[in-house]
Amino acid sequence: MEITRTNITYQKIRSKISPRLALAAGLVALFVAVPLIYIFVRAITAEPEAWTRLFQERIWKLFANTLGLVLAVTAGAMLTGVTMAFLTERTDLPGAKIFRWMLAMPLAIPAYIGGIVHLALLRPRGGVIPKLLEDIFGQPVFTPSPLGFGGAAFILTLFMFPYVYLLSGAAFRTLHASLEEASRVFGRTPLQTLFQVTLPALRPGLTAGALLVALDILAEYGTVALLRYETFSSAIFVQLSGRYDRSAASVLSGILVVLAIGILWSELRLQGRARFTQMESNWRPAPLMMLGKWRIPAFLLVLGVVSASLLLPVGVLLVWSIQASLDPDTMRTLFSTGSQGFGNYIWNSLWSSSMAAFIAVVLSLPVGLLSVRYPNQVTKFISRLCQVGYAIPGVVIALSLVLLVNRFLPFLYATPFVVVIAFVLRHMPQAVRASESALNQLSPSLEEASRVMGRTSFQTLFQVTLPLILPGLLAGGSLVFLTSLKELPATLLLRPAGFDTLAVRVWVWAGEGFYFQAAPAALLLVLVSALPLSFLLRREQIFK
Amino acid sequence: MQTSKKLFILLFLMALSVSACGGAATEPVGEEQATEAAPSTEVSSEAEVSGDLVIYSGRSEPLIQPVLDAFKAKYPNVNILLKAGSNSELANALIEEKANPQADVFITTELLTVQSLTSEGVFQSYAPAGVENIPAEFVGEGNAWTGLTKRARVIIYNKDLVAEDEAPASIFDLTDSKWQGQIAAAGSTNGGMQAQVAAMQQLLGDEATEEWLNGLIANDVTFFGGHTDVRKAVGAGEFKIGLVNHYYYHLQLAEGSNVGVIYPDQGEGQVGLFTNATAAAVVNGSKNPAAAQAFLDFLISEEGQKLFAEQNYEYPLLAGVPIKEGVQPLDNFRLADVDVVKAAANFDVMFDLIERVGLP
Repeated sequence: MEITRTNITYQKIRSKISPRLALAAGLVALFVAVPLIYIFVRAITAEPEAWTRLFQERIWKLFANTLGLVLAVTAGAMLTGVTMAFLTERTDLPGAKIFRWMLAMPLAIPAYIGGIVHLALLRPRGGVIPKLLEDIFGQPVFTPSPLGFGGAAFILTLFMFPYVYLLSGAAFRTLHASLEEASRVFGRTPLQTLFQVTLPALRPGLTAGALLVALDILAEYGTVALLRYETFSSAIFVQLSGRYDRSAASVLSGILVVLAIGILWSELRLQGRARFTQMESNWRPAPLMMLGKWRIPAFLLVLGVVSASLLLPVGVLLVWSIQASLDPDTMRTLFSTGSQGFGNYIWNSLWSSSMAAFIAVVLSLPVGLLSVRYPNQVTKFISRLCQVGYAIPGVVIALSLVLLVNRFLPFLYATPFVVVIAFVLRHMPQAVRASESALNQLSPSLEEASRVMGRTSFQTLFQVTLPLILPGLLAGGSLVFLTSLKELPATLLLRPAGFDTLAVRVWVWAGEGFYFQAAPAALLLVLVSALPLSFLLRREQIFK
Repeated sequence: MQTSKKLFILLFLMALSVSACGGAATEPVGEEQATEAAPSTEVSSEAEVSGDLVIYSGRSEPLIQPVLDAFKAKYPNVNILLKAGSNSELANALIEEKANPQADVFITTELLTVQSLTSEGVFQSYAPAGVENIPAEFVGEGNAWTGLTKRARVIIYNKDLVAEDEAPASIFDLTDSKWQGQIAAAGSTNGGMQAQVAAMQQLLGDEATEEWLNGLIANDVTFFGGHTDVRKAVGAGEFKIGLVNHYYYHLQLAEGSNVGVIYPDQGEGQVGLFTNATAAAVVNGSKNPAAAQAFLDFLISEEGQKLFAEQNYEYPLLAGVPIKEGVQPLDNFRLADVDVVKAAANFDVMFDLIERVGLP
């Protein structure tokens, strides 16, 4: 990612930390930490019977299932992501420019929506493709099943690899030509250079991408439930809709949280050791590799990935939506099913996600200011704490909020605000990281000048700092908006009656087997997500 | 040139497969706005009932929607807020919310959940108008809940793939290896399936039930989240046989599939047909009891019961409301004799069993 950052000048530790700022950041950290601590307490204080029952029967299988999927998808996403980034950034692949954009777009498609489409296409016996093949060949032809471990790993890889692709693509672009040239001069073949020099230099970007993927898989509910592969997340959901006892769900959540923090911690260790420095001066891009006779296979490979992860899902949703709109019965259900109309779902999705984005950005400010302007162990810890939310699956946050809010803030219970709070808790890390990186790029001397000129710290914040870091904050907000829009498990558990979002509608309709009704909502969800995503991609200069 | 040609072929293939995702499939929903029944003996006049009515429904949304629409047409001032989910998910929410009630009405697809929630004190007693015409065994003690409709657990089969005399006549035939990989059923989160397991535990004991469940799993039965998937998969010939509630057979038949139905276990010494009932109750602490009561009145009124019978092919509990033509009367069958109160008390044992065998 950012291989060069010399911000020695920004790291001047000023003598006094503003108590107001410290208080604000502390409160934010507390807000984030309370649900976590609560679920831990519930897990530990659960009846021993729940523990023994779970340990005897379920946990080991869930452990193996979950870790297996995390490893498989992370590996798959790394392989796909790096290959795609390499082909589009460093070779003379035909259509590289448009592919660069198309390979990032699957981020706008929630994996469970992709799963619904692939399931309809590939379902053993009943899917479109097996049937087509049967018609052509006159007998059943074996097709890979999208169900179970293999299917879940395949589909999640398809919709997760863009994380790795984006991060390694950025790294490929910024990597200095001289690094690889030196390697060649010392007698390494191009292939050796790739594996011994280029890829290791990409490590920071790759670990960041792998981390995102791994945590997302831990948190994933919709896809694994759809494809009937049991992980901790889906098991918690089943527990919540099973017996009248929350302790088993708390126990599973507690274990899942430990697992997630473990992954987060190992990433910190990995990131901490690797350092790659290159000089900003006389940077020039590495030359493109000529693919030669491999041009066509490479093109087909990229086209295949783009088709499976973007063109097919969007195309199928489009066809379904058209079919839905041609059928008056379906149309009527579409506009009246549930208790509210279609416009209502759109509005709910938009306002709850925007509100979450706004709150997350506002809350991330004191944390970012504190950790960037006064870096020390304590402020770093606060910043880290605010980022733990990413490692906590939506279903755990929802469970914790159900228990907490109902107990201590009953007036908030069953209001849409609880859904918004869950979005904020879950996606705050993106806002914190964006705020920190924006503040890092802003020299404190500007703020100091403002203070010298007699402005108060508040005036400085609003008149100097905020206007300057606004683009960075917007980027953070867009990320939170984008991910909140797609959020499923927390919304499912926390929504009050009558409050449905697009994501929930897609899930409910598809869950009932009504794919045509689900399609327009899914398509709309994808389109709405594509907007902030394009904004982010443009900002990251993906379209050049 | 070559590239563009290949690209063209690929795009063409893709277009082909996409356009093949056809097959219009929609639920019959609220066709005719139910004929206005004669004004019944409602206590509160229709205009007076107003405000938000929060309904937690374990019945899936498409199946309850026509009834909600008809109620709404009758009480235009009521704003219905629906939260549909699985029975036990909503039951959990109701228990969680006991001190801070959110829902006004709870609708469920089987009696065990309402029965156990009654013992948790979640409901308030209400005797809807006309409850005396509902069989007493389908009304909760102290009018805590009111039964709405009955349904039977049947076997649906695809007639193109299975001959009529070959179709399994007992649910225990589903563990026969000749059907290996050919059966679909609803999984452990489905209320209908949960209730059947609990009923079997009561009548046949834990061991036999466990053996049956293990047999299903060993026979590679595919477990879906709900019955709509099951009936569609059987209708499409993905599976030869499915275990569903009887009306899913009729819904699939109405979509034009060549499917047949077996009301199982009628032979000498066999357990009999498993049936269950849907029920509704007014939640304790309801913020809009007037609307909740009007809704329950409506559900067991002739108009409401007709909707269930006509739209969903269910067996109405209200005496005198006819079943839809083509639905086989339950009088023709020997029913499994399940004691709901006892089965509800052992709900936890059922969950233990489901977890033990690892029912998906």
